[in-house]
Amino acid sequence: MKRLFVDVERCLSCRSCEIACAVEHSQSKDLFSSLKEEPGPRSRTKVERDTKLQTFPLQCRHCEEPYCIDACISGAVSKDPETGLVILDEDKCVGCWMCVMVCPFGVIRPAKEKKIALRCDLCQDNEIPACVAACPTKALFFGELKDFKKKLLERKDTKSKVKV
Amino acid sequence: MDYLIIGNCASGVNAVEAIRGKDQKGKITVISDENYPAYCRCLISNYLAGTRKEKDLLLKEKNFYQDNSIELILNKKVESVKPENKRVVLSDGKELKYDRLLIATGGSPKFLGVEGEDKYGIFGFRTLNDAKEILKLIPRAKKVLVFGGGLIGLKAGYALKQKGMDVEIIVKSPRILSQVTDNDSAEMVGRWLMENGIKIRTGLAPKKILGNKKVEGVLLDNEEKMNCQVIIIGKGVRPNMDLVKDSKIQTHWGIITNQYLQTNVENVYAGGDVAETTDLITGEPTINALWTAAAEQGRIAGLNMAGEGKKYPGSIAANSIDFFGLPIISLGYVRVKEKGYEEFVRRQPGIYQYKKIVLKGNRLVGVILVGNIENAGVYLALIRRKVDISGIKDILLEDWFDYSKVSELLEQKEGFRETVSLQGDLVKMA
Repeated sequence: MKRLFVDVERCLSCRSCEIACAVEHSQSKDLFSSLKEEPGPRSRTKVERDTKLQTFPLQCRHCEEPYCIDACISGAVSKDPETGLVILDEDKCVGCWMCVMVCPFGVIRPAKEKKIALRCDLCQDNEIPACVAACPTKALFFGELKDFKKKLLERKDTKSKVKV
Repeated sequence: MDYLIIGNCASGVNAVEAIRGKDQKGKITVISDENYPAYCRCLISNYLAGTRKEKDLLLKEKNFYQDNSIELILNKKVESVKPENKRVVLSDGKELKYDRLLIATGGSPKFLGVEGEDKYGIFGFRTLNDAKEILKLIPRAKKVLVFGGGLIGLKAGYALKQKGMDVEIIVKSPRILSQVTDNDSAEMVGRWLMENGIKIRTGLAPKKILGNKKVEGVLLDNEEKMNCQVIIIGKGVRPNMDLVKDSKIQTHWGIITNQYLQTNVENVYAGGDVAETTDLITGEPTINALWTAAAEQGRIAGLNMAGEGKKYPGSIAANSIDFFGLPIISLGYVRVKEKGYEEFVRRQPGIYQYKKIVLKGNRLVGVILVGNIENAGVYLALIRRKVDISGIKDILLEDWFDYSKVSELLEQKEGFRETVSLQGDLVKMA
């Protein structure tokens, strides 16, 4: 199963992923046109800093046992049995914010202007998610776990720090 | 194996899915006293408001019962459970046998207990039929009185206001939302509702419902008469547990369950608004009658009915609601009356924002968020996992507080990673 992985050592907190995500999920899918849209483009991924000021990219983790599925009162959230992705049917979402209330990672964002919850869908229509394509330092990786591990081990500088 | 599920809502449906995930051969029967396939009960206010159509209320896709080989019995009530014979008795006298039983009968609205309550036009607002009946009355009704300032009453009032009706909330206590908010946040939400055209009066209760067969008005306990054509009762719910009253299945606030959601009878389980579970914060037995809790309980009960042996960690009070675009989230224990708790508050009444955290020792036990609700789930995770927050007390109220600030604290907790996919684990690998 393909997943999004983050090599935090490479992340510079430039937030290119946030912009790419917002544009990809806009109506026009174009940076400049999307800025004029109403409601404006919003990112579903975010880059924060932890208490040690280490950069910390955050997005939906497509949990094994997602709290958001139990919490959804409109049957809008489900787990794809094949891909394992936790997907929101935006047409069914009523904006009750139950999923926002239970997500332990705080990665489901209430879009008050649209009355729906926003969450990462790993850009299912694209070959690779927009954030991964936009990352200038290749900190974001989309693929199988074993390939990500391999990639990390190939890098001498992180070898000692990575527990694989 | 014959599985019998009484109840066709959050708990029942989740149990069915869990059972089918583990046992493809067993026979599953679902009984409901309503006449619909499972629907999103919490969305009946959206249906009433006209923002959701009936077909959009379906909880599962159309062929759910067929695809999962489930026998669905609608419009039948289970009168009694006979665990000694492993049978249930239906309202038409018919008996059904089971090997594993789930009681997920939910709750019923409490009544006002005043004279004239049998008149047409009084609703508990619990079922789709309630919403349909109210819709029938709307063309000739102008005024709605909602008795009770809880979530269900307010949701009904909010829906009817959107329909253009004159809505007035009448509360006995000094404020609305007394179960899930504190004074300041309740005042803020009340002011917001009033600004949006909903009237609120406190300290009053009905004494008598007026009218012939149909509701025409109310006599209040201050002897004031008010005209109205529709009355919504929002006084809370009581568990539907009459069906076990003559059996050996034990009840207290609700049907008593253990950590596997089993009743005192081995092959009988309970889940949802009828089930009494342990409150995660207080450790006391309680009923947290919430969709979220019901769904989780149904799922875990279902797994256990099919032989899994999964523990239910306990229930937690957690509510989220949105009125006219103002989101409100209440988590855990927020109505502090006694000593031994610490409270931190940030009030911004001008922009309708409010944030309060309640601590007991080094544990977060309650949170109220009004206006800005981002990261609410991070607080809930801290409450649920009983995290020692002594090192981060000073940042909990900040708007930039989020998961990255507590990831190490949470990820140390047993069971936390089990719910997280590898995508999460690897973020912290480097």
